[in-house]
Parts: sequence; C-alpha cells; structure tokens
Amino acid sequence: MNPADCITLESVRCTAAGRTLLDIERLTVRHGERVAIIGHNGAGKSTLLRLLSGFLTPAHGQAYVLGHDLSRPLPAVELRALRVELGQVLQGLHLVARLSALDNVLIGSLGRVTGWRSWIRCHAAPELARAGSALEAVGLLPCAATRADRLSGGERQKVAIARLLMQEPKLILADEPTAALDPSATAEVCRLLRQAAAEATLITVIHTPSLLPLLAERVIGLKEGKIAFDLPIAAVDDQKLADLYRPETGNEFEPRQPAPRQGLIHVQEAFS
Amino acid sequence: MLAPALGSRALDRFGGRLGFIGLTVLYLLLIAACLGSLAREGELSFGRNPVANLLKTAEEFARPSFLDAWFGNTHLEYRSDDGTVLRTENRQTVERDYLAGLGRATWTTIRIATLGSLLGALLGLPLAILTARNLAAPRPLAWLAKGVLDVARSIHTLVFGLVLVGIVGLGPTAGILAIGLHSMGSYGKLFAEAIESLDMAAINAVRSVGAGPAQVFFNAVWPSVLPQFVSSHLYIWEFNIRDSTILGLIGAGGLGLLITEATSLFQWERLSTVLLVVIALVVSFDALSRRIRMALA
Repeated sequence: MNPADCITLESVRCTAAGRTLLDIERLTVRHGERVAIIGHNGAGKSTLLRLLSGFLTPAHGQAYVLGHDLSRPLPAVELRALRVELGQVLQGLHLVARLSALDNVLIGSLGRVTGWRSWIRCHAAPELARAGSALEAVGLLPCAATRADRLSGGERQKVAIARLLMQEPKLILADEPTAALDPSATAEVCRLLRQAAAEATLITVIHTPSLLPLLAERVIGLKEGKIAFDLPIAAVDDQKLADLYRPETGNEFEPRQPAPRQGLIHVQEAFS
Repeated sequence: MLAPALGSRALDRFGGRLGFIGLTVLYLLLIAACLGSLAREGELSFGRNPVANLLKTAEEFARPSFLDAWFGNTHLEYRSDDGTVLRTENRQTVERDYLAGLGRATWTTIRIATLGSLLGALLGLPLAILTARNLAAPRPLAWLAKGVLDVARSIHTLVFGLVLVGIVGLGPTAGILAIGLHSMGSYGKLFAEAIESLDMAAINAVRSVGAGPAQVFFNAVWPSVLPQFVSSHLYIWEFNIRDSTILGLIGAGGLGLLITEATSLFQWERLSTVLLVVIALVVSFDALSRRIRMALA
C-alpha cells in the first residue's frame, strides 16, 4: 500500500442501513491514469465516487485519495484542501443557476482565491482572463454572460468542464457526464473532458460502452458493490460487458440492447 | 391482476371527484346560509333611494376639488340673509393650501410605508431563518417563531395601530410600528419560502471545488435568495403603501387623515382629490416595482 498513489483503497466496505453498498478488496489508481467505472444501477459506482470525493466515510478499511486519509471523517479544513485538488463533473445542473457562465467558471478558482474578492465576485484581472480562455477552450466564449439556467444541457456540461480547467485539479471525478445529452454533444463533452484531464487523473462513471475507448485506458466493472473485473480497455469485450450487466436474478432483461431499440420495444408492447 | 387495479383507479378518480362535488356543495350551502340569515335579519337592504344617492355621489366625485376650484366658480361669496356680500373667498388660494397639505400628507404616507416595510423585513428575516424547514433550527424556537409570525399576520395593521397610538401617541411612529409589526408576518412567511426553495445543486457545485463557508454563502446562497428577497420586499412595500393610506384614520397621519376629514365633513370633491392621489401613488409604485421584479427574475 503506497499512499503516494493517487487513490489507494484496501478492504474498504461502505454500508448504509445494514446493506453493503461497496466492498473493495484492493484498488490502486496511479497519477495520470484514465479509468472508467461501469456497472448496472445500484452496483456501487456513485457510492465509490462519493467515497473518493470525501462525502462518504467507509465503515471499514483504508482509503487514501491524493494523500488524504479518508478512512475517518476529515476535518473541514482538510476536506476543503482535498476538494481543491478534486474536480467533479456530475450529471444535471451542477452549476449556480443564477450566475453567468463566466461566473460559474470563476467558481473553479475559489479554492485558491480567498478573501473579500471571492465574496463579492470581484475577481482579479488575471483570473478573469483565465476564465475567459477556459470558456474559449470549450467554445462557449460567446455565451460568457448567459445565465447557467439559460444554457442547454450540453453547454452546461461544457461550462462545468471549463470550471475544471480553471480549477486545475489533480483528480477528476465524472459521474455520467453525458447523461441526457444527444450523441453529438456527448462526443464533444467527452473530447473536452479528455482534454481537461490531460494533466490529471480521470475517473469516469459511464454507461455507454462506445465511449469507453474515448475516456479510459483501464475499465473497472462493479457488480453488487464488488470489483467484477479490472482490465485494460483492450481486454474488455462484449462478453465481459454482457456478464457485468446481466442481473443475478436472471430474467428476460437484455442489457446489451442499444437504448433506442429498447425504447421502441416498450412502445410496441404498450400498443400491442 | 388488471381488473382490480383498474377498479381502484376508477374509484380513486371517482372518489376525488366526489370530494370536489362535496366541497362545492358545502361552499354553496355556506353562501346560502350567509345570504339567508342576512335576509331574515333584514340587513340586505340598499337604503331608501340607492339610485339617487349613487348618482349624487358620483356627480360629486366627478368634480375633484382642485378641478372645481380652477375651472368651476373660482370665488366663493359669503352672503348675509339680506343678500349683502360679507366676504369673498378665493377658492384657488384655499385649494392651493389644501394641495400643499395633501403633498405633505402623501410624503408622510410614503415615509410610514417605507420605514414600516423596512422594519417588518428586518424583524421578519430572523424569524424566517428560524422557521425555514431546511435550516432545521431547534424545534421549540421554530415553533415560537412560527407562532409570532402567525399572530403578526392575523392582526390587522389598523388594530396594531390603535393599540400603538395608545402606547406611543398619535403620529407617524405609531403607523410605522403598526405596519412593521403586521408585515413582519408576511415577510417572515415569504422569506422562509425563499430560503426553503434554495438551490442545493448550486451550493453543492460551489462546495465541491473546496470553497469555504463564506464563499459558499456569497457565491451560491446569496445569488439564489437575494432576488426573491428583493421581490417580496417590493411586493409588501407596495401593499403597505396602500395600507398606510388607511392608517391616518386612527391618527397616524398621512393621507388617511385627509380621507377622514373629507368624509366626516361630507366633502366628496376633496375625497375625490385625495383618492386620485392614492391611486396615482399605488399605480406608479406598482409599475416601478414590477419593472424591478421582472429585471430580477
């Protein structure tokens, strides 16, 4: 066990209301790795991300993230220090709805900038310039003054990525960053996310197998809170994915059906 | 499997409709009871000759005093019984004095409403923080605060005013305190609702980059709460301008005093002038506050 790694988990177990949500024997992520976490709903993917971001303390085991010991609740100051180095892209509106896109990008600097300037959102010129170039990098400079709740879903995720560029975290956690986006926005957001993570470790929870090569070199499959497989991307084939997504109870559920066709089948069933 | 589900759904729908019909019937019964009992007590009369009275009042209202003094007869002659002119009064001078008084009264009304609203907002905010469910203040304190707000809201400004005139004496202070105490209830409720609808996603977004409590407050809480606070403040302020025109009735000064004077002297022309000022005041403040609220939304 080497706390100098980006993430080290050892015999970690997270429980809630008597149920084991996550039970990981050993997991190590080195700096600069690109890891995708896949698994069906309830497999523990979000629990793992919450554990890594310090929102959840494991009931048992050792957890080190960026050198912080997460096996006990962190004091507020250390938790903030961890979050400064930890960028998060979540699904949905993970922005301040009433602030402009530029102000939302500037939020990324709050970990570094303290004092009255950060209170009244009167940011120093260099920070403003950096925020502007971050927005330009995601192609949203024309929307800098638009309020976050007036942006489209794809644009919101791009603003969140620009915030990452501003924050310059060492570790990026992305929880289904492309949920509810159309295919072209999905591809664009993935490309930008990979760019933003050029200098950082990237951990992505994702449901779309076709996006795996874009975002990861290493794929971790979670099932029932346990690591089902931990393989380089080249070794992940359709059979492994099908096994991962097949539920234990085994019914007619077909996990490898592409989403649109599933929807179509539902519609047909409803009318037959 | 399907039939019972369908049955219970139909029952639900039917039950909901039955409930609505029941409430409607209750409402109609209440109205019938109100009308019927008033009619039995002989209280539903419109007086002896309502039409003639209405026409007379309307005619007097149609000649506001300031128009009459300039475009009607400008000089009023006081004569003795044998017809000799005792003195001639220049109605324009009298009216000019009255209008100056009206202006001062309007200013008093605005001052009462403005300071009273501010007082109400300042008193309401801490109580709102205590009652807002998502802030989870200690239970007994929350109940106490909610009780205070409910009492404040259920006692009319005029009643507060009457009590306060007895305590602090006649004048605008009583009016300001009365407005402040009553609108504290409304402010507390609206502020608490604004706090309860806080945008948690925004707070988490700011928190997730390692921002401190003060940074979270100023970057996420403040932008989400401020527009609603300002909007409620303008709304109640505007309401209080209407309310404070009445406060003069109980001696708090302002336009209400002139309304009382005009009605007790049956000077409907003057009342008409005062009411025109009230309408102009309320309408212009309404337009202004709506502009500001639209810009904030």
